[in-house]
Amino acid sequence: MRLEKCWFCSSTVYPGHGIQFVRNDAKIFHFCRSKCHKNFKMKRNPRKVKWTKAYSRLHGKDMTQDSTFEFERKRNRPERYDRNLAENTLKAIKKIDKIRSDRASDHIKNKSFSRLKTGKVQRQKEARKQLELGIHLVKAPLALAQDSSLCLPKIKVNVSQAQTEENQPMEE
Amino acid sequence: MIQPQTYLNVADNSGARELMCIRVIGASNRRYAHIGDVIVAVIKEAVPNTPLERSEVITAVIVSTRKELKCDNGMIIRYDDNATVVIDQEGNPKGTRIFGAIARELRQLNFTKIVSLAPEVL
Repeated sequence: MRLEKCWFCSSTVYPGHGIQFVRNDAKIFHFCRSKCHKNFKMKRNPRKVKWTKAYSRLHGKDMTQDSTFEFERKRNRPERYDRNLAENTLKAIKKIDKIRSDRASDHIKNKSFSRLKTGKVQRQKEARKQLELGIHLVKAPLALAQDSSLCLPKIKVNVSQAQTEENQPMEE
Repeated sequence: MIQPQTYLNVADNSGARELMCIRVIGASNRRYAHIGDVIVAVIKEAVPNTPLERSEVITAVIVSTRKELKCDNGMIIRYDDNATVVIDQEGNPKGTRIFGAIARELRQLNFTKIVSLAPEVL
């Protein structure tokens, strides 16, 4: 019994599910459900179909390179049964799975292209940093010191006295 | 789902290239043949200078079909074409080489020689 990956969407195919297609050159394609099978018959390229893993990996939406993927390589050599080895492997699978999914969700959340709220926050953070570093491109530092309308207000203060003190770091 | 008038490819080097099914062996009014069934076929196209000639009537066993094969373990396998292996009355293949992948079901049906010659068994 082997858990295969669907050729089209890359989800796992459990025994009893899906269809296997054997091409004339003896290449076997596994499909998890008829949706993937029909898309294959339509000759669609999974790398262009938005809901597949192939698309998201290609477009950087999903984590592609990580050391945790090394554990899931296909090995065709059957291992002699060893109780300790089997037990340790089962424990390790759980742990590696958790690490991998944590890293993958970090990858998704902390990306500035993410459509999640965290992505928006990340974009604003990056934009703010860029503005602070490159404010001299917008207006000359000397002019900035005199007319401070382009500065980012760092802290919202009630006291007018403190506001003039804030602009001084920008002169650097 | 092979029935009379179906054209099939030949997956061995017996000399035939294309067969047309004439009869499905099994019961008197048997409609379709699947993987592992024996059929009577006539050779429609043959390789020149081989013992088998065009319009010769021979028996063959079906080794792959475009219709899905449902295995006992829940797997469903579909091949890309309908192919046969030419056999004699005992079930031994007439050719010496088999091309393409063969389904494991043939072993249960006592076509062990075919399974052993096959380059890949699924």
